[in-house]
Amino acid sequence: MSITLNRRSVLCGGAAALSLAAFGGGPAWAQAARLRFLWWGSQERADRTFKAIEAYKGVASDVSITGEFAGWSDYWPRLATQVAGRNAPDLIQMDYRYIFEYARRGALKPLDDYLDKSLNIADFGQMNIDSGRVDGKLYGVNLGVNSSIVLYDEAAWEKAGVEPPKPGMTWEAFAEKGAALSAKKTKPGFYASADASGVEPALENWLRQQGKALFTADGALGFGPEDAAKWFAMWAEMRKSGACVPADVQALDQLNIETNPLTTGKAATAFAHSNQYIGYQKLNKSRLGVSSYPKVSAESPSGHYLKPSMLISVANGSAHADAAVAFANFLVANPTGVEILGVERGVPASESMRNGLAPKLNDLDSVMVKYIADITPGVGALPPPPPPGAGELAFALKRVAEEVGFGRATPEAGGEKLVREAQTILKRG
Amino acid sequence: MTVHPTVWVDEARPAAAPRRGALRRMLARNAPGYLFLAPWLIGFFGLTLGPALVSLYLSFTNYDLLRAPDWVGAANYVRIATDDPKFAAAMRVTFTYVVLSVPLKLVFALAVAMAFNRGIRGLTVYRAIFYLPSLLGGSVAIAVLWRQLFASDGLVNMLLWKAFGFEGPSWVSNPDYSLYTLVVLSIWQFGSPMIIFLAGLRQIPTDMYEAAEIDGASKTRQFFKITLPLLTPVVFFNVVIQTIEAFKAFTPAFIISEGTGGPINSTLFYTLYLYQEAFGFFRMGYAAALAWILLVIIALFTAFSFLSARYWVHYDD
Repeated sequence: MSITLNRRSVLCGGAAALSLAAFGGGPAWAQAARLRFLWWGSQERADRTFKAIEAYKGVASDVSITGEFAGWSDYWPRLATQVAGRNAPDLIQMDYRYIFEYARRGALKPLDDYLDKSLNIADFGQMNIDSGRVDGKLYGVNLGVNSSIVLYDEAAWEKAGVEPPKPGMTWEAFAEKGAALSAKKTKPGFYASADASGVEPALENWLRQQGKALFTADGALGFGPEDAAKWFAMWAEMRKSGACVPADVQALDQLNIETNPLTTGKAATAFAHSNQYIGYQKLNKSRLGVSSYPKVSAESPSGHYLKPSMLISVANGSAHADAAVAFANFLVANPTGVEILGVERGVPASESMRNGLAPKLNDLDSVMVKYIADITPGVGALPPPPPPGAGELAFALKRVAEEVGFGRATPEAGGEKLVREAQTILKRG
Repeated sequence: MTVHPTVWVDEARPAAAPRRGALRRMLARNAPGYLFLAPWLIGFFGLTLGPALVSLYLSFTNYDLLRAPDWVGAANYVRIATDDPKFAAAMRVTFTYVVLSVPLKLVFALAVAMAFNRGIRGLTVYRAIFYLPSLLGGSVAIAVLWRQLFASDGLVNMLLWKAFGFEGPSWVSNPDYSLYTLVVLSIWQFGSPMIIFLAGLRQIPTDMYEAAEIDGASKTRQFFKITLPLLTPVVFFNVVIQTIEAFKAFTPAFIISEGTGGPINSTLFYTLYLYQEAFGFFRMGYAAALAWILLVIIALFTAFSFLSARYWVHYDD
């Protein structure tokens, strides 16, 4: 078939298209909503998310969703520039650290009006709902529950004949057993543990075990130079005894799964987030065991808390906020959506969804769900919202930990320095 | 095709406003020219000059992308000058990099160009091969490769072990050496100055060397008395271009340290610090101020190069 176009028909078509564009389309287009969803994460996460988007067509055929994703460090610049350019994606994957900044600057839409209407998250439990609240209003829906976790290479510990990390073990015992593993020298350049002295969640857990915190409720620093010095000294000891990797091995760790000494075959233990377990296991040949963090003393609290591994938010000013909320609801409260996402973003907060999902989980997923269930009785409250500028503390901690690790500063000097820098950061906001 | 200049002379009031008339005539005469220039002009004003001026304005504000910029006067500049240890660290890293990488790279490029200039077979092939790193240099893949080469169990340490029985450190992740691996990376990308040197060497008349040969001048003497002086315009060009490039270096440090400038700020290039401030911590105003300081530094350096040029650059005419 051939279509002959003459000048007039092209003109007519053009005019028709223009008028459609100008008047927002005819009635047939009135309900069609085109949404954009931006998230960070791995290819695995992208595959699952695109599958969920595809499945959503069966629920709401008039809504089309375009997904975009980026790695963690590229994600935040991209989101910030899009928001600044009045081009924010309708659906935004949010982090507990950033939700305060975005919500308080008016970039997110409060979702309270949707509660129990198109957003059915009542069975999340108060704590998991409140983790998406800022100044009393709901700005994010929990996409998965998460906590810190210790991952270890089961075979490596067994081969050395040393008892691996287990819940309730003290840091002292951990350091001792670590030194024993490294001393066995099962392979050259292999150590019992990664060096977590520059890993912020590890420091936070250790502080919480002693009733302290990274930040206080009024946004001040929750620890002093002597705390930080003790922390650095503990790791300096482990470095000396060989329980953890030397500084120049740790410096290659960019705080992601791919470069962690556990994955690169330099260490038998890593300090991570529980939802990363699946990612770690995919990259590690030998089977990984899980444990909660070592403790300061046998009586101290676990220091763990249940954290939203990520949240989903709706952009303030989205033209299709209702459709966006409906899709968010599909991801967290519809069995189809929940099953597709699985536990890759963390364990579903909704009890009914979690129970519905349980029989369909594979071994790996079940280990993680069980881990969260096991630690839940001992968890503490969610820490207060991080003050503005808190994101920079992680960078400062990594750098000061490296200075101590490379012997450029003593643990005491490192402690002083970290606190001084942290206070400057907070003052600047 | 002959192009006839369009002449739209305004004949109505030639005497009443002679200067304005002349201006209009000139504009009218050049209108087609401006029309052809339009794409570039629009690009220059819209995409270069406009944003540059906005960035100058932003450098006097606090701006976090989400809220409107908030005028703070010179506070950003004052902070940079008086109260920013990371700025000092970034300057130290960047200047070390420039001072080491530019001369080493140029010496290396000149040496290879001289070797090629002796006339070897298959020159074009070699030239292409040696130019390749320059093309690849800014890429992410090369930076990742570098990370692998200079890691503790990388190829470099393997060779050191095999050849000398020397157990090397993890070069990229040790703050004592990490910057130097980036200097080596920069030297490896000697291709483009080499091509320019080669073209310059070809310009030197061979009869000068013949005359020097007859007078009994040694090769070394020929190099210092003929080659180098006649090559100074090319050297000058390469120094200016490479220095500006070195000040702007970003990708290798960003990839090797995953954007942290670590370990311990040892690879915190100025541009990387600027990027961190802007896109890591959303201090756009502060980052804009940093960018303008870099511009001034590069401008000062270039001005100094041009002023000094008359004392050491020899032009034939």
